Amino acid sequence: MSTDDHSHDAEQHGHEHHEVEGPGYPTPAAMRTEGGREKTAYVMAPRVGMEEEGPDMVGVVDLDPASDTYSELIDTVEMPNNGDELHHFGWNACSSSCHAEGLARQYLVVPGQRSSRIHVIDAEDPRDPELVTVIEPEEVFEHDLSAPHTVHCVPGGKIVISMLGDANGELPGGFLQLDQDDFSIDGRWEADLGEMEMNYDYWYQPRHDVMISSEWAAPNTYYPGFDLDDVEAGKYGDSVHIWSWDDREHLQTLEFGDQGRIPLEVRMSHNPEERQGYVGAALSSNIIRFYETTDGTWDWDVVIDEEPREHEDWEMPVPPLITDILLSLDDQYLFFANWLHGDVRMYDVSDAGNPRLVDQVWAGGLFGDRQTVQGEEIRGAPQMLQLSRDGKRLYWTTSLFSSWDNQFFPDIATDGSLMLKADVYPDEGRFELDEEFLVDFGDAPGGPARAHEIRWPGGDCTSDVWQ
Amino acid sequence: MTDATTHAVELVRPNGETATIRAEAGETIVDAAERVDVALPYGCLYGACGTCAAELLEGEVRHGRSPRALKPSALDEGYVLLCVAAPESDCRLRVGHEIQAEVVGTPWK
Repeated sequence: MSTDDHSHDAEQHGHEHHEVEGPGYPTPAAMRTEGGREKTAYVMAPRVGMEEEGPDMVGVVDLDPASDTYSELIDTVEMPNNGDELHHFGWNACSSSCHAEGLARQYLVVPGQRSSRIHVIDAEDPRDPELVTVIEPEEVFEHDLSAPHTVHCVPGGKIVISMLGDANGELPGGFLQLDQDDFSIDGRWEADLGEMEMNYDYWYQPRHDVMISSEWAAPNTYYPGFDLDDVEAGKYGDSVHIWSWDDREHLQTLEFGDQGRIPLEVRMSHNPEERQGYVGAALSSNIIRFYETTDGTWDWDVVIDEEPREHEDWEMPVPPLITDILLSLDDQYLFFANWLHGDVRMYDVSDAGNPRLVDQVWAGGLFGDRQTVQGEEIRGAPQMLQLSRDGKRLYWTTSLFSSWDNQFFPDIATDGSLMLKADVYPDEGRFELDEEFLVDFGDAPGGPARAHEIRWPGGDCTSDVWQ
Repeated sequence: MTDATTHAVELVRPNGETATIRAEAGETIVDAAERVDVALPYGCLYGACGTCAAELLEGEVRHGRSPRALKPSALDEGYVLLCVAAPESDCRLRVGHEIQAEVVGTPWK
């Protein structure tokens, strides 16, 4: 079975799901073992805040080692407007809709973080995706929401997008629901926001009736750039929120305070039996594990805690800044990126509450001992991660967010960012940079771009949820 | 084109090059630039994101919506947001993608 297949016959999995065709895999292990090697990547590539103006695009990267164009940008889908800041994106359908007959993982929902414009790309032909639908910002603002972020398809034919602000870019945000069939806006997902004001990423686990959302800040706080005065003023997040998935109600706030400043990416275990996950707190640079307790409430512990580090050119010690985290499909390894320091770390989390550091790769950043790949300067540092389904190849890009890039790694604005790869040896608990692989978004058709989130046809480690 | 309802807006780029455009009454400088295919950085188009930050060197502009992305200190220093600013007189502006980061500075550095 080709890795680029969007749907598959459940019979091939020997899976007792009534032989319906669906867009996903019956279990995380099925996806890991039967998903095949990724041959194509879609990479968000904004041009907001670049020296050379131009529209954002979704880049198509050839990941098939047998291909003549391996490790090259082979196609781009340009957005119709400038200024969107494509950031995170998601599929119209995933393994959460495994039983949905006739539904295919075919459409990418591609929001503009700054513009609040939402694009839909038809990727039926994985190597020739095309823009088919645009939801204009005014339609989003009508629901008093802005700044779309995380896109998940959810059971029941819907797509839910976390929204970070109101129509003026202030707090609170909320969640926008789209229809899977025609991508029309249904309205707000949540029935009751409760204490939630700030929003960012979310993950959900229907089997345990739970959703977990995290906090960045108000768009008009984080959009213009990162200002420590705003942290002092309490304008950045320090909590995650526990929701009833079925009732769409806020139930509980886990407030981390100084132990969890700016909690961003939320990753629950892929195994739907598990009632736990991790969130990376960017500013305090620690990994927090959250879990359901015996009385049904949720609790948390800091399980990895990193320290700021002195740098001769910087006045104050610089935090690692954990900007992305990722769990392998077998829930054995946790990877995360330290965007300022310049490393990716690999932890064994088979004992979920006691992660064990097994390896680290340095590339770029303030402290990387490696600052070039194939003679190309590494502009930026490890940031958005994506792991192959089989857990053997880790890819990452080096841009964070246009305005923050321009503060910390201004070279990205002139020369673009990079996509890199490491080979992972899960059986040996190690990984190493693959020096043969480099996609330089500085050479992108239409001008240099900031490569950001990565996905492939057929689903990946951050797209699919199992019921 | 020098009628009383339009204003001349001189855009000064980091390399010293300049371009002069004309904005109609109430027209934002981003819109006026787009109309004649002069490139300017921008993002949200409603004053929240700061991508279009510029420094007002001469003249006057009026923000038609709250320039939320700029703190009072940045406004005092003469920074403006071109996506919501319309000229009130002929003016000169320093523009470019790096002004956004200049306004905020770099933490820890």
